[in-house]
Amino acid sequence: MELLDRYLEAVRKHLPWQRQDDIVAELRANLESQLEEKEEALGRPLTPVEAEAWLKQLGSPIQVAAGYQPQQYLIGPNIFPTYRYVLKLACSWATIIYSILTVVQLFVAQSPSNNALLDAALHLPWVLFMAAAWVTIIFAAMEFAVMRGYVKLPAMCAPSPHWTPGNLPPLGHDAASGKKPPSYAKAVAEVVFGILFLGWLLLIPQHPWLMMGPGASWLKTSPFELAPVWVPFFWCAVAMNIVQNGWNIEALLSGRWQRPQPIKQAIFKALGLVPAAVILTAPGRIVVLLRHPATDQAQYGLQLDAINHYFHWSAEVICALIILQLGWGAVQLTLNSYRKRAAAMR
Amino acid sequence: MTIAENLFENLRLELRRGCLTLAVLAQLRQERYGYTLRKALADDGLVIDESTLYPLLRRLETQGLLASEWREEEKRNKRFYRLTPDGEQMFAQLLAEWHAINASVTATIQSTINPSL
Repeated sequence: MELLDRYLEAVRKHLPWQRQDDIVAELRANLESQLEEKEEALGRPLTPVEAEAWLKQLGSPIQVAAGYQPQQYLIGPNIFPTYRYVLKLACSWATIIYSILTVVQLFVAQSPSNNALLDAALHLPWVLFMAAAWVTIIFAAMEFAVMRGYVKLPAMCAPSPHWTPGNLPPLGHDAASGKKPPSYAKAVAEVVFGILFLGWLLLIPQHPWLMMGPGASWLKTSPFELAPVWVPFFWCAVAMNIVQNGWNIEALLSGRWQRPQPIKQAIFKALGLVPAAVILTAPGRIVVLLRHPATDQAQYGLQLDAINHYFHWSAEVICALIILQLGWGAVQLTLNSYRKRAAAMR
Repeated sequence: MTIAENLFENLRLELRRGCLTLAVLAQLRQERYGYTLRKALADDGLVIDESTLYPLLRRLETQGLLASEWREEEKRNKRFYRLTPDGEQMFAQLLAEWHAINASVTATIQSTINPSL
């Protein structure tokens, strides 16, 4: 039957070449037996339409041949959980390292363009794609080598014999109270945005437009200028930001980002008092000066006093809010610790 | 095909997959070639597509559970399969496992239908 020959020839094209003849010969014997029986039952040969319907019901040649192919994965189920974990880590760290490099480049550049940050952000998807591509290529090669027996399954992909449930991270306070626990993405985002914020902060003295926008040009022509007290204030803010970023990176590396850290948060809030205190203790409560006091005192003197008064008043309000927040945090910590102790005694 | 039908089809195939291997091993305690094996299974109510059965025979042979031989029958060369000694041992183990699963599932279903039993 010519149609059967054509069908088997089409199947052959998709078979593993070492076994093509053998498989096609077996298929032919089986299908010819089937055909013979059909024709015997009908008492006549199959019509072309019937033959076509019969072969169609067997399945397309590519589908039939696929059954004889060994099951193949790009990344198989043994390796996939590790692959997904490493992919997540690689993308997170690619984002962090890229953010640090971007900030350093912006800081080093004498005159970064307004679009430099936007360009860097638009380039990020490509960086992530490359990180994901490299991880995928490495794991696909690993799968290939393991499946062909060239190497054993790497220890990182096999379940560790040292694994114990006791090593699992504890349920955080938030989880116990039914709130959603912090996610890994949030922890990574905190690090990335913390670094970007630090870069932005460090660029402000050379490029005030980054904070004030078009108002920066007004600052140059204004009769007022910032008092020297802003220098320690600025470096206090930078130091606080560095400490916070260090804490966040350390928490991410050590896995502590999963646990709520109320004491650390309280310490950081308390540190927020330092820059506010710098403004509060400014000599003579002066945070803004006249650029040319001899000539401008008469015209801008009252305005200057008002500005300094409002700055001082704002610093007092900020200090009061921070102290209130700290107090409220301390009350919450005490209550939670009391609740835990009570629950443990029940 | 609706989502429910599709889901049923997937679950049905999953349920059948292991049973088919057992049924094929059971049939091949007696030597058969592909087409007569398929017919024998169909006669017992287990219809299997050619594209599923013939590759399955190859896989079981690669795993050492079946042995095959080309032989002429009714003026046509056919590949006959039968269980190897390893295949017979495996069949006995799988059969015991199948009986145990069958008994457990039956007991579970009966106890959920009528908990007093």
